[in-house]
Amino acid sequence: MANKSWSTVGKPEQRIDAVEKSTGKVRYIGDYSAPGLMHAKLVKSTQAHAKIISIDTTEAWKMPGVRAIITGKMFPFHIGPILADRPPLAFEKVRYYGEPVAIIVADHEHQAKHATEKVKVVYEPLPIVNSVQQAFLKDAPLVHDNAEQYTKIISDVYPKASTNIGSHIKIRKGDFDTAWANSEETITATYSFNLSDHVAMETRSTRVEINPAGKVIVHSCSQSPFTIKKVLNQFFNVEVGDILVHIPMVGGAFGGKGTVQLEPLAYLASKAVGGKVVKLEFDREEDMTTAPCRIGFDATVQLGVTKEGKLVAGKYTYLLDSGAYSDQAAGITRAAALDCTGPYNIPNVWCDSYCMYTNHPFATSFRGYGHPELTFAVERTMDQLAEKLQMDPLQLRMINGIKPGHTTPTQTVLTANNIGDLEKCIHRAKELIKWDEGQKVQSGKNKVRTKGISTFWKTSTTATNAQAGAIIIFEADGSVNLNCAAIELGQGTKTILGQILAEKLGMDMNKVHVTMEVNTQYDPHQWRTVASSSTFLAGKAVVFAADHAIAQLKKTAAVVLQCSPDDLEVGGGRVYLKPDPTFGVDIKDISLGYTYPSGHSIEGQIVGIGKHIQRHLTPMDQQTGFGKPGPWWSVGVQAIEIELDTRDFTYSILKGVTVLDGGTIINPMTATQQMRGGMYMGLSYATSEKFVFDEQGIVQNSDLRGYPMLRYGEQPTEYLVDFIESPAIDGPFGARGIGEYGVIGAPACLANSLSIAADVELNELPLTPESIWQKKKEGTK
Amino acid sequence: MISFDFMYFQPSSITETIDMYNGVHEQGEKAMYISGGTEFITFARTNKVYADVIIDSKGIPECNVLEMRNDDVVIGAAVSLNKITNSNLFPFLGATVKQIADHTSRNKITIGGNINSELIYKESVLPLLLVDARVKVVKGTDVRVVSLKSLFDRKMKLSPGELLLQIIIDSSYIELPYISLKRTKFSKVGYPVVSVAAILKENQLRVAFSGVCDYPFRSDEIEAILNDSTIPIVDRIDKVLGNLPSSIVDDLQGSREYRSFVLKNVLLDVMEEMEMGE
Repeated sequence: MANKSWSTVGKPEQRIDAVEKSTGKVRYIGDYSAPGLMHAKLVKSTQAHAKIISIDTTEAWKMPGVRAIITGKMFPFHIGPILADRPPLAFEKVRYYGEPVAIIVADHEHQAKHATEKVKVVYEPLPIVNSVQQAFLKDAPLVHDNAEQYTKIISDVYPKASTNIGSHIKIRKGDFDTAWANSEETITATYSFNLSDHVAMETRSTRVEINPAGKVIVHSCSQSPFTIKKVLNQFFNVEVGDILVHIPMVGGAFGGKGTVQLEPLAYLASKAVGGKVVKLEFDREEDMTTAPCRIGFDATVQLGVTKEGKLVAGKYTYLLDSGAYSDQAAGITRAAALDCTGPYNIPNVWCDSYCMYTNHPFATSFRGYGHPELTFAVERTMDQLAEKLQMDPLQLRMINGIKPGHTTPTQTVLTANNIGDLEKCIHRAKELIKWDEGQKVQSGKNKVRTKGISTFWKTSTTATNAQAGAIIIFEADGSVNLNCAAIELGQGTKTILGQILAEKLGMDMNKVHVTMEVNTQYDPHQWRTVASSSTFLAGKAVVFAADHAIAQLKKTAAVVLQCSPDDLEVGGGRVYLKPDPTFGVDIKDISLGYTYPSGHSIEGQIVGIGKHIQRHLTPMDQQTGFGKPGPWWSVGVQAIEIELDTRDFTYSILKGVTVLDGGTIINPMTATQQMRGGMYMGLSYATSEKFVFDEQGIVQNSDLRGYPMLRYGEQPTEYLVDFIESPAIDGPFGARGIGEYGVIGAPACLANSLSIAADVELNELPLTPESIWQKKKEGTK
Repeated sequence: MISFDFMYFQPSSITETIDMYNGVHEQGEKAMYISGGTEFITFARTNKVYADVIIDSKGIPECNVLEMRNDDVVIGAAVSLNKITNSNLFPFLGATVKQIADHTSRNKITIGGNINSELIYKESVLPLLLVDARVKVVKGTDVRVVSLKSLFDRKMKLSPGELLLQIIIDSSYIELPYISLKRTKFSKVGYPVVSVAAILKENQLRVAFSGVCDYPFRSDEIEAILNDSTIPIVDRIDKVLGNLPSSIVDDLQGSREYRSFVLKNVLLDVMEEMEMGE
């Protein structure tokens, strides 16, 4: 609904951080340096699974500048966001290669690092759990001996005693078995999606001090400032009011900076040196393996249909490689289950989603939160099913597309407001990829061009009480400051919130000053900056704060203008009479209260406050999954055109298409960039990214020499993005979340196009020329 | 962050450089020449290389030459890969080194550093082996110009303290038809699965390889096979595979079997491109 009367919302406003960033003047956490600042470095496990026999720090203590050495014995407790299963420093045993074993604090960073090389750790190797399949076996070695005894921080997590199952989420909708037995055509297929890393440009970094008054002051590049407070309070017994968290601009996060890992370590380090400021900055290698990475994913999908192609039954078994600790993987296990079907209406659904412990680096949230993975499995199955039915793969998707009136796997009823219009997205993507010109054409000697498509959906699985707040205050010139705890990590959230405020107040963007830094002491509580939720949660808080300020502006102006507040309108830096806009008062004359010529002053400054909390969300039932997990579903379609050399299996990506229904698009330029960046990221891990483990579970490519990814300039030659804007009544100006969505369908449509081109089913990622060659070879044996 | 202490010097003449190296050596410490420094920095921070003293050769005028001298192209060892490509003095070399690393890194990586790399690829040496390049090296007070071939066997055979100053190429090679093909895992930026460079001189193909064995090489035997027009091309290529100087690399970039598949295809491309058909 392009409402043409809006002046800022819906317009491609320049990002408010563009100038600072492009001139290189942004100061990130790692850029900070000051006299007296101490440095922490980690001793990390060289084994993937081993008993710690001894840690000898004698030689390390002799190194220059060393002030403290901390080992796991000094804090032998478990922490975690969902299930408290992870010791900040390993004690008794290590469970992954790169796990923190000790911290050394020294005057200089190189001294700390040098001393870590002198710590002698003796390990006794234990059997390695090196894959999810192995983890699932009955007699598999256990990564955690008593996982069922860990403290649950969030209710719906279900570790199973004497297994490697960290959680098991079930969906039971309708009667799968009967529907499956009566299906006229069925398909079963398995998939594998590799472990990989976020590789944000800024590596994780933090600094912590405990001041003489006992205040714990944390500076960090985190997506979760209030979770840092919660963790330090919950597990370290610091009064929550004594913890102050500052977050400046973050240099990319992609979900990886949602985990609270460095802050507790730096807190222990600061405590060990009498509260002095200690900085802990990860090297790239640490950022890749010591810090959490992306889940691995194995899936089996079974679909049953009628002859006409109507889906009647779907069964999904998802094994998530959570690595050594459950962290957010337990949440991703749940998210993958509740959206397990993809955006299709299936009356009978059975899903078992397992969070599996292995001896791999532990996994956390990563842009898409399980959805690129499940979409890969579902959309590959849809293509193979279409082939079986001899049906156009787009037609099959059209027939089964989910719509208002249908229910999701957790039996949430969909309405025109809480789900986008998939059918419109399919039609638009079909036009943009020129589907009707053919899905496969010969384009030269040994060259074939093919198109692949993927639909996708995702809800924003926040906590049921997830919320945000906003405070707006005015300057004497009538301009306005916006403070809120949404974190700018490159996604453009501060610009979007500024646009929402500018639109509400009828102001120019240059009159809206958005505070970049987040400070938990004066910013209202916000759940976290994850789950594509900030435009929705913080955006609504800004709308309410603006309404609150407008009411005050009108109240003051009504006195000045001697009329009723109801007669007034705010806009153009003024409050004016609706029937006669020339009669009014400038905001600058009332923003700090109005002063009469006599000197008498009234009303005082305008302070707008606003807040928003999720409505009617519920946990999921343990046995059936029944519940309302998210406020809305954004849906979309992606398509790819590739050219494959059928002789050597090299290929190039010619065209990428993303069509998303994200409700009203607040800023078409930043939204387009989000889609492009997302698709590019999805293509990078679909084509290239993968951690390689040896038989001992040691990561073989924990640096950017060995870890392959796409580089700047390797995006598709043609890169089309379009939006369908079915407004969400609940959202600010009708917007839903869009941040993660560009990434979701990319791996699936790449695999679909390559499977057609190579004439072999490609169900494992990444898709390198070598992996396609391998599949072809196996296929022709 | 590099955790160990080391000293850094940038002398401005050959004599000073050599004296400094010998001085450090005499004190029982380890000295190392660097030019771009990219390998030293990246390996030192993970303790894969160590030196007490690093001596930067970028200050030596002879190492910064990039010009035509009479009938020779002269390239200083400390000239960056991007400068070589942009100068267009020797397009074959320019095209080959442009395939190494990424643009930003090539601003720093020098040709001398790449030839002396710790890694197995050293792709800039491929064209040089094919054009019978000469190298100017110095040890003590002894400056000599010798053929690259006489010094390069799997890697540069420089004695301790010996420094590569320049690479000299006879300009008669510049106009010869050439091809440089690099296959990577997927991204263009990456180590070679297979990298092949070739030129045609007097109707004879010359070929050099990187990424195939764990060192770059040129082989008379392989060239003889490829130039044997009595045999069909596919058979020649099969024969090449059986005559490699050592086993094919098997690593993260590609398995042994895959590399041999890629090598066959790349050789087919080379033969086709150079019009070496039957």
